[in-house]
Formats: sequence, structure tokens, C-alpha cells
Amino acid sequence: MQKDGIGKQPAIKRIKGRVAGLPAISYALGMLVLFIVIFAVGSATFLTRYNMLTIGNSAAILLAVAMGQVFAILTGGIDLSVGGIMSLVSVVLMKTLEPLGFWAYWLSLAVGIAAGFLNGLINSRFRIPSFITTLGSNGIFMSIAYMISIKPLSAPSSSFGVLDIVNGTTLGIRNIMLLGVLIFMLFFVIQRYTITGRNIMLLGSNEKMSWLSGVDIFKVRTIAFTLSGFGAALAGVMLASNLYSGYPTLGTVYILNSIASVVIGGTAMTGGAGGVLNTLVGVMVMSVINNGMNIIGIDVYAQQSFLGVLVIIAVAISFDRSKLSVIK
Amino acid sequence: MEKKKIIEFKGIRKVFPGVVALKGFDLAIYEKEILGLVGENGAGKSTLMKIMTGNYQPDGGQFLLRGQPIVLGGSMEAIEHGIGMVFQEGSILPNLTVTENLFLCHEKEFSKGWFISESAMVAEARKALEENGLDINPTTLCGNLSPAQRQMVEITRLLWLSRLYRHENPILILDEPTTVLLEKEIKTLFEILNRIKEHATVILISHRLEEIIENSDRIVVLKDGDYVTEMPGKAADIFKIEQLMVGRDMVEGYYRRNEQVDPTDTVVLEVKDLAIESILEPISFTLHKGEILALVGLIGSGKEELVKCLGGSMQATQGSIYRNGKRISIKQPKHAIAHAIGYIPIDRRIEGLATDLDIADNINMLVYKKLKSRGFINKRKERDNANHWMGVVKVKATSHRMKCGNLSGGNQQKVVLGKWLSADAEILIVDHPTRGIDVGAKDEIYHHIRQLAKQGKSMIIMCDTLEEDIGLCNRMLILKDGKKVNEVSCPPDAKPAPTDIIESIV
Repeated sequence: MQKDGIGKQPAIKRIKGRVAGLPAISYALGMLVLFIVIFAVGSATFLTRYNMLTIGNSAAILLAVAMGQVFAILTGGIDLSVGGIMSLVSVVLMKTLEPLGFWAYWLSLAVGIAAGFLNGLINSRFRIPSFITTLGSNGIFMSIAYMISIKPLSAPSSSFGVLDIVNGTTLGIRNIMLLGVLIFMLFFVIQRYTITGRNIMLLGSNEKMSWLSGVDIFKVRTIAFTLSGFGAALAGVMLASNLYSGYPTLGTVYILNSIASVVIGGTAMTGGAGGVLNTLVGVMVMSVINNGMNIIGIDVYAQQSFLGVLVIIAVAISFDRSKLSVIK
Repeated sequence: MEKKKIIEFKGIRKVFPGVVALKGFDLAIYEKEILGLVGENGAGKSTLMKIMTGNYQPDGGQFLLRGQPIVLGGSMEAIEHGIGMVFQEGSILPNLTVTENLFLCHEKEFSKGWFISESAMVAEARKALEENGLDINPTTLCGNLSPAQRQMVEITRLLWLSRLYRHENPILILDEPTTVLLEKEIKTLFEILNRIKEHATVILISHRLEEIIENSDRIVVLKDGDYVTEMPGKAADIFKIEQLMVGRDMVEGYYRRNEQVDPTDTVVLEVKDLAIESILEPISFTLHKGEILALVGLIGSGKEELVKCLGGSMQATQGSIYRNGKRISIKQPKHAIAHAIGYIPIDRRIEGLATDLDIADNINMLVYKKLKSRGFINKRKERDNANHWMGVVKVKATSHRMKCGNLSGGNQQKVVLGKWLSADAEILIVDHPTRGIDVGAKDEIYHHIRQLAKQGKSMIIMCDTLEEDIGLCNRMLILKDGKKVNEVSCPPDAKPAPTDIIESIV
């Protein structure tokens, strides 16, 4: 009989019960402290100034793409095309640096924004789940990148000066980190202090009610994915400038990493809860882990399984399963 | 009575934070009877049911099943003990066949070795359906069945299960079984229930007292979590029961009738020949400033669809709507909102609130534009607006940052009301304003409705009971089969009797 199912709570629910009441972000902060301690103990070089700068550098790039991703996830959707957008943008940037100079940045960002807008349009107008829409468009964006250049493109040495917008320093601080801070502030304000940001939360929390309350759900959804495209484009130009090159698989790893950052930060995959601040902490956790595993010398291939386990645990803790009748 | 007691409650008691749901009373339920359980929302009917099905544990008193004290851990355990419940919304899976639904989770009974015999299942299904006098093909998908047929499948399943667990006299609980049924289907349902009664106990919960009186052997009246009285079914008088349920004289005071004001002559909304193909025939009516207009009719009368057209979630196929004399077009909810028409839905948790967000987010969602300064939403303005409207509608909460999902039904309804008031809605469509709200909070909602009318807001209401409609409104439109059949004035000193209205409804 089905009797054994009754009265027993899943183990995870019991664990959750003990720490219930804490906001989702506190799990991520706990994790951040835990991993910093582990790596600091495990390696003498972890806490050095040089290494902290390395972490900051990669965190700024991950932050940009995760800031976009979180808007897609807040609506209850997901953007699997951020990798494709980053790759495409990197190739566009490298290809156009020489003729366009500084304007290549604007063109690259425009390409990313257009790509995100397209995702949003297909998702909302044709009512195709974002999971499918962006899975498909990710392939399209990558394929366009391949069509532009099958080989990695390097920045022409004549354009190195232009790349200083990302690689240079201002008042002794690396520009890439300043960009990270600016991007965070921008997205934070959009989420907390604009009507669009509020409507994205409403939509993710209850779509039917939002519509009945006059929210233009097509527009809001489209904007959310456009923001995601914008974030990915920013990350794409930052990474490409940093590497002085662009290639069609450059962004692939950022699909998982951006989603993981959002989820570890405690933003619900079901939408409507969490946000930009949570994601900042998630990005810090991811960056510390990625860096720390290299420093203490964990095998590159083993790192992937560790990250996978971590993401599943983070979802288990943060995911509000009560909202779903069936787990699919 | 020589019938054997099958269930006995002794001093049964259940307490929720802030509410005593069951105050500790005795009640016996017998074999082979149809018991009608009546009471207002919040009277304790559903709490009692949930104790019987193991969803709640009593906080005090005894629950005796077949003479033995028992503690049930959940619906499945209840079914093993021969107690099954047919839910209002139904729990049949539409993507499975009748057979699959009947034996869901019990396929093992039909297994031969590792495999399940499909033919044995279908044969057994056919037999079970025939026993209950049902002409349903066991291989049809349940999605293709009518609501009535689905209900029958559910009843058949419960009876079959109780036999599987070898119970002589199963107990079937039906919660508002007729809300989704047509007249003819209701007749069939009760014919079948009367047949089932020969070897089972049926407990019936319904707001339709006529049904209860006509079909129950015994009627038990609950009020405010307490047992009031019981009476034999056929002889019962509907007005007597109503009075017992409410516990006070219906004529004066209730529904805040003394606060009713006469509407002004200004027409704020006029509907001309509005029709929806195959649902609603052309209908025309006006709504005045400060008027409370009740739409009355059964399911299928077209009233739900009519208000959806006004709220913008559905579109009429013909006709026109005039707002303050000007023709308007409402294609989407946002158009209705732009014309200051607000819609308070029947299901607040799904259509009225973002339960994951806090009170401030919910109250402010329509007016963020007004809460901006220098282009951005201002936190202080946001807090002030939320607190202001929380005060007006008297939401009981510790702070404006409290999550709406944690509020009681009455407070949630007040938040929805606050949201529309904050947006300066002039016309409110209120779909079942007191659904699922306990008695005290109900009175507060009545008070708010009266106050709003006094301030010149116009309302179109559809209530849980006909009495509520009559009590609250200035005027009522009666719809039947998609047609307006009557229009009745309901001044405070000369409210029509429900029996007069019922004639035109059915």
C-alpha cells in the first residue's frame, strides 16, 4: 500500500525546517564564508592580493551575464542562450574593432540586445516556453558566430588602445571591476525602483493576476529577455576584451555558471522571489569556488562534477517546491 | 432510530490560530443514511470533513469510527477505513481513461506476475460502473466526460476502494457536488446517491438548501463551530434553517441592511445589447453611481461571462458598453482599469493576489506611476500608500511587509479591495466577496461595501448565497440560460423573499 508515503517528510524538508525563516540569501552568504575559509586554509596563495584581483576580474564578467539571467528567471523563465549571445558578441567585437574602433562596442552591445529582444518576442508572442526558445536560439547565435569566423579572432594590435576601456585602470582600480559595480547598480535600480522591475516580480509571482491587473505581460516578458541579452552582451565584450580574442564557443560555460549563480543566490526558479542582490552573492560564491578549486589543485574535470553537485544542492534548498504540483 | 452509529464525535474540538473552528460538540452519523450538513462559511463544516478524511487531527474530543476511537493520518488512510471524499473541484485525471482513474495506485490488484492485465482492469471497471447504474465506457479519456460523469467515476472509485478494503458500509462525503452540474445531472446524481444509500452513508455539504431538504434523511445545522440542532430532512423549513444558520433575525440588521443608501440618478455604466455567442443573449442594463447591482443566476446563466466582458478578461461578440455616456471598448483587463473598472475575483489566491509578495506590493501594483519621484519608485511613498489603504480597509497585519500568503482569507480580500481603492476604481465588480471568509470578517466586508456605496462607488456583485445578494443589493438582475429574465428592486425596507426569486432562477 501507499502507506509508507504518509507522515514522512523528505529529509531535505526537515533540514529546511531547522533553518526556516532565514531569507534565501543567508544560505548563499553562509556558503561564501564557508568556501573562503576552506580555500584560505587549503592554500596560502588564496587570500593574496593578486588572487583576490583575479577573482574580482572573473566575478565582474560572470556578474554581467548573471544580472541579465536573473531577470529571465524572475519571470519564471530561463535564458539558455546567454552563452550563444556572449560568443556571437565576442566575434562581432573582434571582427569590427579595426574598422569601427570604439564604436565596435556599441555595435556588439546592440547585437546582444537584439538577440535578447528576439528571444523575448518569440517567447511572449508565440507562447513558446523560454526553455525551448532559448535552447533553439542559443544554437542559432553560435552558428552565426561560426559563420562570421570559424577560427578564433584576435584583436588587432592597432586596437589594443580601444580595449583599455575594459582592460585599463581608472584611479588605480581596474576598469573591469568598475564596470562590474556599475552594472550591478544599474540592474539593482531596474529591479527595485522601476515599474518594469516591479512588474517582472509580479509576473513571476502570478501571471494571471498580473494580466487581470493590467500588466502588459508580453511587454514585460520581452523586456526581461532583452535585459538578459544586454547582460550577456556586456559579459561578452568584457570577456573578449580581457582575452584579446573572440570565438564561437567563448560563452558556452557561462550558461551553467550564470544559472548556478542565480540559483545559489536563492532566486526561485519558479519566479517572483529573489533578485539582483541575491545574484550578486551567488556570483561571488561561484567565482570563489571556481578560483579556489584551481588553486588547491582539484582536477579540471573533477571540478565540473563538484559544481554540478553544488547546483543541485542549492536548488534543493532554495527551490519552492510547494508551488509545483508535479516536479517535472 | 434503530440504525447503527457508524461515526460518532464526542466533544470534538479543533482550534486554529485566532479561530476556534470546532467548539467541542457531539454528533452521531448512522449507517445507510444521507446526512445533510449545513452552515455558513466558517461554521465548521469543512473542518469536520477534514477530520473525517484525516487531513486534520482534532485538538480535543473523540472521533469514533464503527465504535472504535481512531486517528487518521491522511486521505489514503481514511479510504482504507472506508471514508472517501468527492471534492468540489474533483480529483480525476483528465489525461487518463476511466479505467485508469478508477484503479489509480491499485493496479497491483490486476497484476499477473510482473505485468498488469489491461483486460481484467477494463472488465472490472465495466462491472463497477454498471453496479452504480452508470453508462460510461471504461476506455474513454476522463477529459472527454462531462463534469457529472467525472463525479460519478469518482464516486465509483471510492465505493470500489471501500470494497477492496472490505468495508460493509462505506462513508461518502460530497462537498458542494452540484455546483458544476446541470439540472438534469443533479437529478441523476441524487437518484444514484439514493441507491448507494442502501449500503452506504452519504454526507452532503451544499449551499443549496432546497437540495439538502429534498434529499437528506437528516439535516444537521452548524454555526460558528458549534452544533445547533438537527431535524428530519423532508419536513424541514428552509427559512427556519436559514435563521438557525445565521443565528439572528434575517430581517433586520444582517448584511448591514440599515446602512443601505439609495443610488443617485447618474448612470456610470450602461450596457447595450451585449451578447456572447452561444453563452449570453443580448442584454441591456444600467448601473448608477452608488448603486449595488446583484447578478443572480445559476452556473450557465451567463452571469460569470457577462462580468468577464466588463472586466476585460473575455470579449463580447456584439453590443456596446458606455461609461459616463461615452462608448468604450474593453478588449483587455488594462482597458477596463483605464476606465476605473476594477475586478475583485472569486479566487483571490490565483487571480487577485501575488501571494509570494508582501501587502505593500499588492496594494501598490496598480499605482506605481503615482509613487514615483524623479523617475524612480520612491520607497517612502510606497510605504505611505500601503499603510494608508491598509488602514482604510482595516487589514490586520503586523507590517506592510508581511507576505500576503500568510494572511487570513478575510484580510486577503481586504488587501484586494485596498488595491482597487488605491487605484481609484469607480466601478467594482465583486465576484463572491465573502467566499471562504469567516463570519466576523464577512460582516466587515459588508460594512466596506456599504461605505463604498455611500462614497459613490458603484458595484456589481455576485454572492455565495441568494440571501446575501438580496441583502446587499439595491437592485438585482436575474439571468437564466443566457437571458435576462427579471429585474427586481431590493430597497432596505422591502427586500423580496428568496422563494420569489428562486422561481425565476430555475
